[in-house]
Amino acid sequence: MARARTFRRGNWLASLILCGPAVAIYGTFVVLPAVLGFAYSLTDWTGWTDEPNFVGLENFRELAGDERFASAVRFTLAETAMIVLFFTFGSLALAVLLDRLRSAKGLIRGLFFYPYILSILVVALLFKYLCNYNHGAINLLLRSAGLDAWAQDWMMDPRLVGTFIFVLVAWSALGFFTTLYLANLQTIPVELYEAAGLDGAGPVSVFARIQLPLLMPTVTTNLVLATIFGINLFGQIVVTTEGGPGYRTATVGYYIYWLGVKNNRQGYASAVSFAVFITLAAVAILQWTLLRRRQVEL
Amino acid sequence: MNARRRRRRFGWLELLLLLAGAVFVSPCLLAVLNAFKTNPEIIADPLALPRQWGWDNFRFIFTGMKLARPMLNSLLMCVGVIVCLVTVAPMAAYSIMRRKMATGRLLRVLFLVGLTVPFQIIMVPLLKLFRVMDIQFTYLALLVHYVSWGLPLCVFIYSAFMATIPRELEEAAAIDGCGQVGTFWRIIFPLLTPCTVTVVIFWGLWIWNDFMQAFIVMGPTKGQLVFVQLWKFLNDQYVRNWNHIFAGVVVLSLPVTILYVLMQRRFVKGLTAGAVK
Repeated sequence: MARARTFRRGNWLASLILCGPAVAIYGTFVVLPAVLGFAYSLTDWTGWTDEPNFVGLENFRELAGDERFASAVRFTLAETAMIVLFFTFGSLALAVLLDRLRSAKGLIRGLFFYPYILSILVVALLFKYLCNYNHGAINLLLRSAGLDAWAQDWMMDPRLVGTFIFVLVAWSALGFFTTLYLANLQTIPVELYEAAGLDGAGPVSVFARIQLPLLMPTVTTNLVLATIFGINLFGQIVVTTEGGPGYRTATVGYYIYWLGVKNNRQGYASAVSFAVFITLAAVAILQWTLLRRRQVEL
Repeated sequence: MNARRRRRRFGWLELLLLLAGAVFVSPCLLAVLNAFKTNPEIIADPLALPRQWGWDNFRFIFTGMKLARPMLNSLLMCVGVIVCLVTVAPMAAYSIMRRKMATGRLLRVLFLVGLTVPFQIIMVPLLKLFRVMDIQFTYLALLVHYVSWGLPLCVFIYSAFMATIPRELEEAAAIDGCGQVGTFWRIIFPLLTPCTVTVVIFWGLWIWNDFMQAFIVMGPTKGQLVFVQLWKFLNDQYVRNWNHIFAGVVVLSLPVTILYVLMQRRFVKGLTAGAVK
């Protein structure tokens, strides 16, 4: 009762003081631009000085036949597939191993998490160095081992560049996804392991019968997060290949940036970003509901 | 803690994973090693120890790359944004969580939606907005952007934590004649300290490390935060001087690395806080 009274007593002024700043800032600099973005997507706005003209759904029609957009979608999906598989299952394997450590836990986990605290520019520079054709560490080591033929232009070879981006992303965020699994693994009650031990279960059946089913909530989380991570891949491209060679590594995010910031096609860029956002939201919700249902069954 | 692990022993698994971990971070070790060498030395043999442990590359960071001022700028930006976030976000979260009315639910949904909006969507209109407000390419614009961009996650983290605080405390304060705002600052805010630590770590690290958003909001020519400055310098160079790049990378990563080594648990907890939900 007292609770209801304190709040009902009016206090719209108090609410204004408490909530006002957040709503004002968030509304002006996040919600408003998002709404404006949708409005711009219906225009042919091309830059800073020209006034936008309303063109209806013309941008979305152009999008349907845009070859570069199609190529960006293909590359993004290919990267996302690798990223999702790796962050869902690769980090699961690592987490299960790390969970079995009996000493030096903090140190070893700390090593795997470390790249996640580095700036993407640092990660990019390290990888650019390692993979540089003339002076990079990988090629220098191969050449000094007499394997000159194996030396490759790891970053700019169109056949390898997709893997290059994937390895860079995998390296930098492996610790993050592994930590989410580790946190979940620590919630599994000891009694279950003890019971399994009494029944003579080996590590494999402990994993299959106890750990995996109880990890399903995090599998869902990681799957969804990795999907969002993959589709939004953008900064990593800007600081490494800048979409090259050619348009080979232009992701959807990079294409939007390229259109909006470098090419002054803001109206069209907004249309692309909206189409992508709505698709991504739909996919994420779909994944979430499908996997949630599976969890209940288990 | 766990019966399976009652014996603390350094066995094969530990050794194997330690080696794997060392290989995993070896690019960073290589960067540190090569930051002390000259460029020809790096090209001759990336794995060799420097012939002479020199500090020339590090001196160049401050003379050639002029990173001292950007480091101060980045630090001030971190402080400014964090101060704004840890005052504005918990107030809003408190107000949202302590009301049952439709407005509360509406606000919560509004902030939740903000978590999913990618930067690319608001990028172009945001720059236009800053231009209309006549703060285009200024630190103020970047500060405002960081704060507004960080708000949804902060409100989310604070709200989740707020749900665990019993209401009896506030009721007692209300009976003693304390207003809502006073109750919040005197009673609730101190209880939120663990959350505030998370927010400080998450956004401090994020802003220090940020390159992309500072680069876009401040414009490539005026950007003066650390990583924008590093990027600008690299793009101005014809020749890749790996020794300077490595020294820059090491110096800019050193503060976060030291903090990470000192407070690893808090870092890991803080950086994964937004995801576990």
